[in-house]
Amino acid sequence: MTGLPETLQFQLTAAAPSGIDYSSSTSLHGVVTFWCGLADSEEILAVGKALLAAGARLAMVSALQPSAPEQDEPEDNDTAEAERSGKEAPKTFGGTPLDSKSYEIDYHFVLGGDFLTVIAYVPHGGSIPSLTPLFRSADWPERDMMEEFAIVVRDHPDPRRLFLDPAIDGAVLERLIPYSTLVNAASTKALWDKVLAAKRGAS
Amino acid sequence: MTARPTYTIPVGPLHVALEEPMYFHIDVEGETVRGVDIRAGHVHRGIEYLTAKRSITQNVVLTERICALCSNSHPETFVMACEEIAGLEIPPRAAYLRVIAAEIKRIASHLFNVGILAHLTGYDTLFMHAMQVREIMQDVKETLFGNRMDIAAMCIGGVRYDLDEEMKAFLSASLDRLAPEADALVETYRRNGTILRRSKGVGVLAKDQAVACAVVGPVARACGLGYDVRTAAPYAAYDRLNVAVPTHADGDVWSRAMIRLTEIGASVALIRQCLRDLPDGPVRLADRPDIPAGRAMGKCEAPRGELVYFLKTNGADEPERVKWRVPSFPNWDALRFMLKDAKIADIAIIVNSIDPCVSCTER
Repeated sequence: MTGLPETLQFQLTAAAPSGIDYSSSTSLHGVVTFWCGLADSEEILAVGKALLAAGARLAMVSALQPSAPEQDEPEDNDTAEAERSGKEAPKTFGGTPLDSKSYEIDYHFVLGGDFLTVIAYVPHGGSIPSLTPLFRSADWPERDMMEEFAIVVRDHPDPRRLFLDPAIDGAVLERLIPYSTLVNAASTKALWDKVLAAKRGAS
Repeated sequence: MTARPTYTIPVGPLHVALEEPMYFHIDVEGETVRGVDIRAGHVHRGIEYLTAKRSITQNVVLTERICALCSNSHPETFVMACEEIAGLEIPPRAAYLRVIAAEIKRIASHLFNVGILAHLTGYDTLFMHAMQVREIMQDVKETLFGNRMDIAAMCIGGVRYDLDEEMKAFLSASLDRLAPEADALVETYRRNGTILRRSKGVGVLAKDQAVACAVVGPVARACGLGYDVRTAAPYAAYDRLNVAVPTHADGDVWSRAMIRLTEIGASVALIRQCLRDLPDGPVRLADRPDIPAGRAMGKCEAPRGELVYFLKTNGADEPERVKWRVPSFPNWDALRFMLKDAKIADIAIIVNSIDPCVSCTER
């Protein structure tokens, strides 16, 4: 399968002048998966336009907070040296800090039978333009992403909650949610009151 | 002249077509639907959150619980993504056994959906007949896998079941029983007046609307889009099999039902090819493999269409991120076009025609 036109890499480069990090892998069945990291997440709109013109279908949007790479514990004298040389925290392609809080947003496009994933990096508290004006199929995935993480999607035509009730705090995948809260165990409050009343009665 | 008054009616969240909740906020003018707003979230269970708290092996079990009708497709696609990261090649026998498991589930799923269509038209005898035919495949699942819905057939590096000669003979005999019944069902849906009156020209989705909504599966193929993951991006043993991809041009409820009915015959043919060509050898890799750090995509053709998985690992037991998009997810959007100017009485039939899976959609 070679669903990706050869000229597309040039079109992507033209749409993202700040730079792209391009790679691909081929499955044992010959299905190719392309990965295209963006140096500047704002260029996702221009890249989206180029892919729309090439007939791509937006299949899914995945957001995540990549873990910071493990670093060797520096010895005391190394620390001082590192500070002097201005050693910086690890960064993604394009320079977003890899601090376990910044976001990686993967836009999974399908061209022919192949996947092309465009990766945008957004620092914590940052924002990204909406692709919904270009792709109808970005509507729900972007709303899904907005309730899972504290990512601001700018110019989304309908930024309501998708699955979660507006009463629930946002960014659910950034927090530890106790299982009792997750399953709304407040309904067992009557039982708990009974347990407490029995305890009071015993003492 | 004064404009006719419009009203807003709630449809759902319970008992729209299936016993799964989805809420439709519908503007009507007289008996005609003018606008639709879809509100989801009634069975959101936080499974996506749980995947990050379970080991990769445990996730094979967890992902099977996302949905009932396409339960096998979830672990199948998840393990494909794991195998992609680890660079594993599954044994040839396992590739064929994966196809057999997937096609058995597809037959049972499609029969369920076309049966519900008959139920919604009020033709309950046909509904019960379709469910009775489906029971042959339910028995097959129970006999081969020990369970009628969650068949636990997939593992990283292969499958967790094998077929001996006795099982192969049973499966083959079951297909011989099912095939003529399925052919008769196709004829009924093709000719029966009750079915035709309620489904022909109802809930039409035009091809350009299908492209805009990015619909997949039988919904897309009923609009003339011939996309099927099994041929567009082959996996398991599909590149060695003759996969028929039926398409229709009309994009109505009837076309979607006919695609599913035709695919039942195509799945029977695929299982027979697998039984004929099933190679000898192991059904899974000997060692439980470690999944290194990496990222991969997986996709398969679930009964409702293209199922997509994204997996990112960092070398730990738990995955860094598992994200999936089920075929129903983009297909809901198409209902806005299908329901436009439809009659109130047809809402349930049209909703059922996308074969919606709410628990899949909301996770």
